[in-house]
Amino acid sequence: MNAPDPNAFSLDINDSEDAELIEYFLGELPERVDAINQASSSDDVEQLGRLAHQLKGAAPGFGFPLIGSAAAKLEGSIRALDQSEEDVNLVRAEVENLISLCQSYISQSKNSH
Amino acid sequence: MVDPKDLQLDTTPVVLLIDDSQFVHRLLDARMRSESISLIGEFNGKNGFERAVEDSPALILLDLDMPVMDGFETLRALKEEAKTKDIPVIVLSGMDSSQDKVTAFDLGAIDFVTKPFELTELRARVRSSLKMSALMKMLSQKAQIDGLSELYNRSFFDDRFKEEYDRAIRHGHPLSIALMDLDHFKSINDTFGHPAGDTVIAGVAKIAVQECRSSDIACRYGGEEFVLIMPETSPADAFTLCDRIRERCEATTWAQHPGRPVTISIGIVGATDGAGIQCTPAAMIELADRNLYDAKKSGRNMVRASDINGAQVKIAKAS
Ligand SMILES: [Mg+2]
Repeated sequence: MNAPDPNAFSLDINDSEDAELIEYFLGELPERVDAINQASSSDDVEQLGRLAHQLKGAAPGFGFPLIGSAAAKLEGSIRALDQSEEDVNLVRAEVENLISLCQSYISQSKNSH
Repeated sequence: MVDPKDLQLDTTPVVLLIDDSQFVHRLLDARMRSESISLIGEFNGKNGFERAVEDSPALILLDLDMPVMDGFETLRALKEEAKTKDIPVIVLSGMDSSQDKVTAFDLGAIDFVTKPFELTELRARVRSSLKMSALMKMLSQKAQIDGLSELYNRSFFDDRFKEEYDRAIRHGHPLSIALMDLDHFKSINDTFGHPAGDTVIAGVAKIAVQECRSSDIACRYGGEEFVLIMPETSPADAFTLCDRIRERCEATTWAQHPGRPVTISIGIVGATDGAGIQCTPAAMIELADRNLYDAKKSGRNMVRASDINGAQVKIAKAS
């Protein structure tokens, strides 16, 4: 699965419809991050996969293609997951990566307000 | 009757989105605003299926990956249900999988879009699917319509009469049918030409439609013959309606032959209680035809009605 082309999904903060979508997405994001954290710490791989899958499908449309690709990578690793130490570590790293990316968008938006 | 409005494409089509992700609903809500559609949504396959049965949307956007009842299962259910099987379905999927595409198309999906979707492309696909389904609907309706009279055609009558016959028997409801035949129609064609004859066919059809209630089904049975299915109608009530048609035909002046009125003979048979119907649909038509034959034989411009058990209901002739 190719990472989405960021340019195909770039949104314009000055367009009112785009701004509305960006704001909605950022508003929902903390809850999603909590859910990912929770699924990760309780080793609920199935739930983690579902959350990654949804973010992968949705984030680019809201103007966040990087979150989309990080979520796609995580979903891919979860699908390929066997019980090897290496794979489990990879999934953990990708969860970290996705969460810190989301956090950076969340704090950016807080600072701009 | 076919409402001409149904044959046009200008009503706002309802599009049903079935997706478990709140994000997708929110995104399409915003991005479909510019389209002339009305978007409704459900969050799982089971509710989505029920909503489709209830609201018969013009198009369904269906997510594949959903908990409880997934997209394939939902698609299968939609295609098995008579009320929803003709609604086009665009499958939305987070997986760009050839196998999923093949399965979706095999199950009857009209299109397949991979998430994250390019919104301009999705909008174009929605428009194209809506246009195609509107045209298909129009075609299938037109295939049931007789071009000259604009009434339902014979093959529609054959199916529909069987349905109404079964329904009347099952619920014990009244049902009547009327066979109508223009008197000396051949001489109109011979004397004034076929265009004049066509005008008469179309004009009498219009009179019949105007006198019919919305539950009546008027069809062209053959050349100058019409048939009227009147559900929930006793033969006596059918007689009243048909005699109005007879009177109006007689009273109509035709521009192409003002001195030559056109009259009609009508034979009716009906049951006040459908549960009492013992004969086949074909035999019921035969009984109506016998009344029509008697009306012709006794001087035309006449309505004869009888109960399905043979009791004569009424005879009327122009005074
Ligand atoms: Mg889904």
